[in-house]
Amino acid sequence: MREQRRNFIIYSGLGLGAVALPSLLFAQDSGPIKIGVLIPLTGSTSQFGATMSKAASLAAQEINAAGGVLGRKVEIVIEDDQSNPEAAVRAVRKMIDLDKVVAVCGSYASAVTSAIAPICWESKITLLTASGADSITKLPHQGYIFRTSPTVTLQGTRLGNFAVELNAKKVFFMGPQTPFAKSYIDIITGIVTKAGGTCGGLIYEDKKTTYRTEVDQALKAQPDIIVLGGYVPDTAVVLKDLYRANYSGKRMGLSFGVNQKLIDGVQKEVLEGTYSLVPSAAVSSQAYKNLIAKMHLDGLDTYSCQVYDQINLVALAIAQGKIATGVGVRDNIRSVSQVASPSQQAPIVENFPDGAKLIAAKRVINYDGASGPCEFAENGDVKGVFFRYEQIQAGKLVTIKVA
Amino acid sequence: MILDLMQHLLNGLMLGSILALPALGLTLIFSVLGFVNFSIAAQMTAGAYAGWLVNSHFKWPLVPCIMVAFFVAGAIGVAGDRLALKPMRKKVNANTPLMVAIVSIALNLALENGYRFLFGNELNSYDLPLVRDFHFLGLGIGPQQAQNLLIALVMAGVLAAFFSLTRLGKAMRAVADNADLARLKGINPDSLSNIATFIGMGLAGVGGALLAVDTSADPSTGARLLLLIFASSVVGGLSSLSGAIMGALFIGVASEMSMFFISPVYKSAIAFVAIVLVLLVKPTGLFSGLSGAKR
Repeated sequence: MREQRRNFIIYSGLGLGAVALPSLLFAQDSGPIKIGVLIPLTGSTSQFGATMSKAASLAAQEINAAGGVLGRKVEIVIEDDQSNPEAAVRAVRKMIDLDKVVAVCGSYASAVTSAIAPICWESKITLLTASGADSITKLPHQGYIFRTSPTVTLQGTRLGNFAVELNAKKVFFMGPQTPFAKSYIDIITGIVTKAGGTCGGLIYEDKKTTYRTEVDQALKAQPDIIVLGGYVPDTAVVLKDLYRANYSGKRMGLSFGVNQKLIDGVQKEVLEGTYSLVPSAAVSSQAYKNLIAKMHLDGLDTYSCQVYDQINLVALAIAQGKIATGVGVRDNIRSVSQVASPSQQAPIVENFPDGAKLIAAKRVINYDGASGPCEFAENGDVKGVFFRYEQIQAGKLVTIKVA
Repeated sequence: MILDLMQHLLNGLMLGSILALPALGLTLIFSVLGFVNFSIAAQMTAGAYAGWLVNSHFKWPLVPCIMVAFFVAGAIGVAGDRLALKPMRKKVNANTPLMVAIVSIALNLALENGYRFLFGNELNSYDLPLVRDFHFLGLGIGPQQAQNLLIALVMAGVLAAFFSLTRLGKAMRAVADNADLARLKGINPDSLSNIATFIGMGLAGVGGALLAVDTSADPSTGARLLLLIFASSVVGGLSSLSGAIMGALFIGVASEMSMFFISPVYKSAIAFVAIVLVLLVKPTGLFSGLSGAKR
């Protein structure tokens, strides 16, 4: 009996060793450094998925053309989150457990990011996200989350201020159940009430085919501006139902709901005059101009710019810290993207090759990307972002201002 | 208050009329073939795309578009049935109906992703002018939705006539009642299963096209309604055709009326609650006593 047990222990020990052997042989400092890119290629939030994917590939190409990081190639692992938290969790587990990525970039819908964030920080993997919900950076993430997108508080404030600017007295918010819908209502209500107006709100169920009754309820408040908080599919239905119900007031939304995809898919008369607020890439910066030239595009959404910047930040952080792990990325991102004190001198770089050269020359650098300055507050939120204010006129998005 | 109630009721009837045709299709297929074909959602989407293609390319008006939707969805439905479901049905054992239903879910997802591959993820609106509501006694009525209701009623009427007046229709009812007995009388249930699938999926296609006129055609057009359609069929008793229509109107009205009491976020819960209650209280369905293919 005892013999048997001893044999069992010996053999299982040997077995475990054999399983662990390959990972010991292929230890971390050989082979490509893998960076995960989790983006929506399908589903209700997929409108920017294709360009996000292209921007990510471009960043990786540039890094490899410049000789890679720490003498190793960079390989990006792109996974589709299907606009679905459950699919996203599976994808992230695969990236972390099988691909052994050092960071996860992209993650767009707030529901997706909220679902995968704990997996990332518990696995000591840095997460760079393009999501807006305030709750995300309030998670106990131990510094593993960096957000390159403006928060909902910031977006809601812009929406509220813009409504006041447009002389709205009665504002009404309609949006699907998301991690940020309630925050939007609270923030906009605060701003509009202070300016002497009123604000109501209704949160509806996503993926419905008709919003007749919801629209009826909203119109009972006789709003002069309706703020749309949804993504493209439900925003299209709500706008059509508003049109049918003879609503003649103003409508405004954010770029994830009111954008070119919506224009391509919905009758002109339904959309005419609708405003859209777009967290803007740094369109006047050289970084942005270079990026769209490299991608052969006339313009690019901020989220694709953010993914490009995120991958560059990860690679530069690895070069700076000389360590290709999630912890290393976390600890070194700030040292390549922002100056420690205002007196510090650091040349501004906007792509990986330039940054890598300076790092090799032991210089301190400050990465300012196509999406903006990429400077992060203590909690991981980005500081300093731009918004573009647009209006649909005769079936086209016309820029009113960038501020 | 009364006016609001009437408006909710009206909106519910409009929603129910969109659910009615696919629910009829699902019920028809169940009563003749004996299993729930969940790929009905994908056939709705097929109808939505088929109608949209002829509408946007050839500028055909609504009614011909709907007929195209009927035939395309019916054809894809029969093809899917013969390729994926029929081989499954042949392996007869106690679990066959369940296995076939599960394969139909797989078929549904495969088709949905096929459309995504072919047409992309974009929304595609029909090239028909959007009509504003007209107001009658303080109630807003959408002409487009009223038209949908009318088309649904006409189709249901044609179907009822088909089942009570034609030999084929009567044969289907006979198979639905007792397949073995029908076979003794010289009716071949196998050939009927193709026709039942064709008509059932064709109806779903028309439902999908009408829905897409109202909203838009995209890969998940049908999938959004699958739960409500299934609930309609269950409430209607799963084997009564008039029950399916009543069930659809019931589910439509119930889910719109629910907004009086609960947040719109929980609208779908109504369908679940309806399924649970009906199966607990009257497993044969609320409207199963009504005459239909299976009495």
